[in-house]
Amino acid sequence: MATTGTRVSSFSPNLSSVKSSQHPGLKNGPNGTTFISSGISDLDKILGGGFTLGSLVMIMEDAEAPHHMLLLRNFMSQGLLHRQPLLYSSPSKDPRGFLGTLPSPGSSKDDIAREPSHEKDLRIAWQYKKYFGEPQLNINSNNGGQHDYCNDLDLRKPLERHFFTSNNVNCVSIQNSPNLDVLKDRCAEFLAQFSRNEGGSSSAGRIAIQSFCSPQCKYSDMEWHMLSFIRSLKGMARSSNVVIVVTFPPSLLSPSCSKRLQHMADTLLSVRAIPDEDKELAKLLTGYQDMVGLLNVHKVARLNTQVPVILEATTFSIKLQKRRYLVFECLNQAPVDGSGGSSYGNSDGCSRSTKAGSLDF
Amino acid sequence: MAESVCRSLRDGALEGELAPTLTIKDSLASPFGFNVFSHILVQLSSQIVAGKSQSQGIMIVALSRSPSSYIDLLKTSGVDVESSKKWIHILDCYTDPLGWKDKRRKSGDITDPSNQILSSYKTVKDVNKLFSVICDLGRGLVGESKSRFCVAIDSLSELLRHSSVQSVASLLSNLRSHEQISCIFGLLHSDLHEERAVAVVEYTSSMVASVDPFHHSVDGQGSYLGNSSRQNLTKGKFNVRCKRRNGRVRVTCEEFRVEPSGISFAPVSSVDGAAVAVAGLIPKVQFNLQLSEKERVDRSRVVLPFEHQGNGKPIQIYDGRRSLEDSKNEATPISGGKKEDSGRGEIIYYRDSDDEMLDSDEDPDDDLDI
Repeated sequence: MATTGTRVSSFSPNLSSVKSSQHPGLKNGPNGTTFISSGISDLDKILGGGFTLGSLVMIMEDAEAPHHMLLLRNFMSQGLLHRQPLLYSSPSKDPRGFLGTLPSPGSSKDDIAREPSHEKDLRIAWQYKKYFGEPQLNINSNNGGQHDYCNDLDLRKPLERHFFTSNNVNCVSIQNSPNLDVLKDRCAEFLAQFSRNEGGSSSAGRIAIQSFCSPQCKYSDMEWHMLSFIRSLKGMARSSNVVIVVTFPPSLLSPSCSKRLQHMADTLLSVRAIPDEDKELAKLLTGYQDMVGLLNVHKVARLNTQVPVILEATTFSIKLQKRRYLVFECLNQAPVDGSGGSSYGNSDGCSRSTKAGSLDF
Repeated sequence: MAESVCRSLRDGALEGELAPTLTIKDSLASPFGFNVFSHILVQLSSQIVAGKSQSQGIMIVALSRSPSSYIDLLKTSGVDVESSKKWIHILDCYTDPLGWKDKRRKSGDITDPSNQILSSYKTVKDVNKLFSVICDLGRGLVGESKSRFCVAIDSLSELLRHSSVQSVASLLSNLRSHEQISCIFGLLHSDLHEERAVAVVEYTSSMVASVDPFHHSVDGQGSYLGNSSRQNLTKGKFNVRCKRRNGRVRVTCEEFRVEPSGISFAPVSSVDGAAVAVAGLIPKVQFNLQLSEKERVDRSRVVLPFEHQGNGKPIQIYDGRRSLEDSKNEATPISGGKKEDSGRGEIIYYRDSDDEMLDSDEDPDDDLDI
């Protein structure tokens, strides 16, 4: 039977109780860092709170699947719900069109179904509430949807237009630019608003760069140019209260360039397609019917500390619950012969790392 | 499946989505890509003429074969080319792709008004112009309204020869996002290009059909020359990878056979090693409930410590006291701590308090009856 929730280790730090009072979109993290939500509560849990402000998140795309768009949509939408300014760049002619596909918070009645169903005999325990005398705070209330750190975003419900018609969304199309200077200038301009020197993390911003080295862009064969762009972006991000998410297809780059880009990331994720109606995979995994892809977490950002994050599991299945809500679950696998075959280059096993182990902590 | 590929091309693009794009990939080991291309062309054309497809016209960008060969192909397959309602247009990039003939005669590259179906195009290197010409001619074919047309590119390899990977990629993506284009399909010879070029074309297409020989040999040339059986030269595998909207990839495999009349597809006959490397996608789980043969044999050989060993000798439970016989035979000195006897697979434990005189009453093991 597939579990409906992610496994939380008993040793994981309980950060959910530490909330930042100044802004609902920010949460205090360890070592003086601040988190913002990725828009997907499972991903926030996996990463230990969310995306760290000042970090560069890179998502490796799969040439055969559009899952990176799901991650981007949730990220952008969550930022708009928290009134965090957004800069979005894509290789299409009209990036603003993409904003129409951003998800909106789901209605509260859908949310209740995510809780495990309570059996009848637990009802007795609930009545103890009246003896405690304190009002029980309902942590999962969706009354003020914008006031949650991370909303359950319904991918089928488009975001209300008033969230992105205001001035806090800037779109850049990189399709026709001969090089990345235009994008670099726009990013620098955007990042200047969130400089950390001015003290107080009162506002945060988000930058989403989609399909960064898409082959139709004119600079797509200028690898060193792209690498220096990312490096300068990372440097600028470190001194601002911004999270930058960049997606790129590693199969379209030379291996050395792809490796360099992966090393530059603070948080590195990759999404992969799975074959459809595959009997082998259906035998190996429970819940295969609902899966649409796989997510691998290669690196988790840790700023201001030398202690790395070691995850329990690094491969998760991407599912669309009720075809609306994006969830990541740990894989429930049948035991297989651990000695045979070799793992995929990018995947990391639960307990053993493969040749991509240089990125594993 | 060839059927499902033709069906997706026939159904075309949904409103607001990119047009389905098929890349037919072949190589020297199995050079039947053009047979597949013409099969799909004929199927789609007959459906257009019958009005069963989303597109109402087809534009063939002929780069590696002459336009007249296409007209002959369609005629012999029974498709009505000369019908009153114009549904086909061929862009001739074959006779003079770089405009060399014109350099002497100084004529432009406008459409030839006398020939309804054909237009010549002489600047293949200018991909942007190619895009606008395709759009204009296509619009002329089906009209300004919501009707769509499809585009068949004879050889993406030829295009890649003339212009850069980036411009071909931008051409394909512009075509895909054009609101009047229903579907696109093109042929690519994968061994003529760098891996990156092939990867880029696969990235921009929604379906990749590769024409492969039955058995992949290490040296591509070896399978071509050293192939004794003539049958294998006309048969092969047709592997299709379709990107579905939900993000999964449908992988199908069929056998094809090339006949004088065309190409036919059949489901895979032999239960070959069709196992995709699926197990590589998910991490290896490190526990194994099965025992291999060697492990079973080894398990039966393990000597358990507190058991009748049945070899006649009195059972001795080693408790740290070394008996006199053993100390004579022992060559190496005693060391504190555990030591593994490599010969018999036992673990011999030397107690730290070895030199103490043990009180027999206090030894709990003495009253064990084995």
